[in-house]
Amino acid sequence: MLMEAILQALRETFPAETIEARAVPIGETFVALPPDCLHPAAQVLVERFDLRHLSTITGQDTGSAIELLYHFWDGGGLTLRTSLPREEPHIATLTDLIPGAAFYEREVCEMLGVTFDGHPDPRALLLPDDWDKEQLPMRMTNDQSIDHPTKRLPDQETHRPND
Amino acid sequence: MTTRPSDYLTKRLTDQMTRITIPIGPQHPALKEPLSFLLTVEGERIVESVLRLGYVHRGIERICQNRNYVQNVHVVERVCGICSHIHTTVYCQGVEALLGLQVPPRALYLRTLLCELERIHSHMLWLGVLAENVGFTTIFMYAWRDREIVLDIMEELSGGRVAHAVNVIGGVRVDVDEPQVDSILMRLDELEQRIETLLGVIQHERTFQVRTRGVGHLSAEQVRRYCVVGPTARASGVDVDMRRDAPYAAYDRLDFRVITAEEGDVWARTMVRVPETIESLHMCQQLLTGLPDGPTTVRARRRVPPGEVVSRAEAPRGELIYYIRSDGSDRPARVKIRTPTLPALSTLPDQLRGVHTADVPAVLAGVDLCIACADR
Amino acid sequence: MLDRIVRWARRKSPWILHFNSGGCNGCDIEILDLLTPRYDVERLGILKEASPRHADILLCTGPVTRQSRDRLRRIYEQMPAPRWVVAVGSCSCSGAIFRDGYNVLGGIDQVLPVDMYIPGCPCRPEAMIDGLVRLLGTI
Repeated sequence: MLMEAILQALRETFPAETIEARAVPIGETFVALPPDCLHPAAQVLVERFDLRHLSTITGQDTGSAIELLYHFWDGGGLTLRTSLPREEPHIATLTDLIPGAAFYEREVCEMLGVTFDGHPDPRALLLPDDWDKEQLPMRMTNDQSIDHPTKRLPDQETHRPND
Repeated sequence: MTTRPSDYLTKRLTDQMTRITIPIGPQHPALKEPLSFLLTVEGERIVESVLRLGYVHRGIERICQNRNYVQNVHVVERVCGICSHIHTTVYCQGVEALLGLQVPPRALYLRTLLCELERIHSHMLWLGVLAENVGFTTIFMYAWRDREIVLDIMEELSGGRVAHAVNVIGGVRVDVDEPQVDSILMRLDELEQRIETLLGVIQHERTFQVRTRGVGHLSAEQVRRYCVVGPTARASGVDVDMRRDAPYAAYDRLDFRVITAEEGDVWARTMVRVPETIESLHMCQQLLTGLPDGPTTVRARRRVPPGEVVSRAEAPRGELIYYIRSDGSDRPARVKIRTPTLPALSTLPDQLRGVHTADVPAVLAGVDLCIACADR
Repeated sequence: MLDRIVRWARRKSPWILHFNSGGCNGCDIEILDLLTPRYDVERLGILKEASPRHADILLCTGPVTRQSRDRLRRIYEQMPAPRWVVAVGSCSCSGAIFRDGYNVLGGIDQVLPVDMYIPGCPCRPEAMIDGLVRLLGTI
């Protein structure tokens, strides 16, 4: 079983960590790791198992920490989960192993403010040029003003008939 | 050795003149959606290209957090108009897994039927767009005229040509009866003949082949490096298909081939997508003739218990993945969407390097861009 | 007299430019459907143009996102007068389901003066033809 072999290899690489696999629907295996173990774990996956398909990197703000989920696929789904502190979160980039991670890391960087050390091109991917870099849309805050339907930009005129 | 003054002058002039930057801006006849390229060309060949996304970024992931699970089915359907049904399929599948629902078999068959019909319509749309981009407007008109048959079938089933709203959490909201099934099967037979004709035209039309062979080449190694999915990956020989590798809905009960090609250029992608359309037609016929009886939906609770789910499916453009986390309320805590066009976009600088400026529309169309999907 | 001829010429051959300022593509593929054999708006004299400088009518779909706002304005300014703007689809009328997106400013009437609103999500080709014919009737 591939998943068993991968877990065994991760346990050998990180003898100090408890590697536990959790089954998550639909057919996914979740493994939690500390942030500095993520690049070596990805190296094990790429070099030993030729597992190079990274579906995406999910970033989420759980309130107490920023969680990153790296979703891999090789016949079955494997997700590596890691937690970063909310102030100044940073983690090593995976683009040296998997160049396809570049876009996903750029998106997590602009949405949550995570710095990926060593990323070759850390520009914003989706947010507009005039977006305030301090404002991170996917962070949980009490400020709901960016969601308001009638928000206006400072220099915006409107041609709406009744305004 | 001294260089003659005219040699020196020519070299200076060509060094200064050769590199020009051409913007392929948000509004361009070859682009159906806003996307910005800055192409650096030397003479007629592209040296480097820079991509700018974000024109269609609506912030859907954050919008999903402000709506409840039922409203999100409608939000998620509008991530992309071409592949709207597969987005709702993946989303509903994920929420049904969180709720622990068993979707009835008839609902799964109907869901799969719409998925395959959508694949047919998307590939025919793509064929028309590629043909128009290389100048073969006749195929554009024929492909889109024949695509109307599929849109009529989808409208009969669901009420909408493009946005079907067929999926609900717990099943589907539509049903078919015997006369409808017979009428749809008859029209699918007619459509199969028409697609075979189009395939025959493309395979014998030398100008189309000259415009698409050798253009936009991606090797299997590049496909794996950039994590490309879908027909673009299959055209380079990488055999991945979520319908076969991780069967969802009714795919474990269907018999189908996964089409691959080896050349990795736009021609190979055509030779993957058009036979795939015919394969999807056969799958629709299997689904309609083998439709099981039973209900089409089960009741779903509004509040979803805490948990997380990763849901994948094969959209017309490749692997679509959703991550949904619930915190026990009736609104999701996080909905993460990764659409198949996003990794394909990261290969565009590689594909465009060394290509003639005149071949840029063919390369862009060959990748089957859906910027609305990529930007969300 | 000359005025009447010019107005007749404008009514009988409105050339359109299609721009997607942030929409999901649903209305865009229905606009492209207008050009295909089933709906065939070329019988009304409508041609889809490549450049704003050749177009009379701007068919705009999708809500205005912050990134596409300036480009939409520039495209409108490049069109020679007389020009008309048609908002196709609910998103370009008002922003519809994306109104509270952090990157979305609303319908295109936040940026341009609109002459015809054609709602629908997505807008059916028959509704678009109806809207275009009514607009041509006011020219």
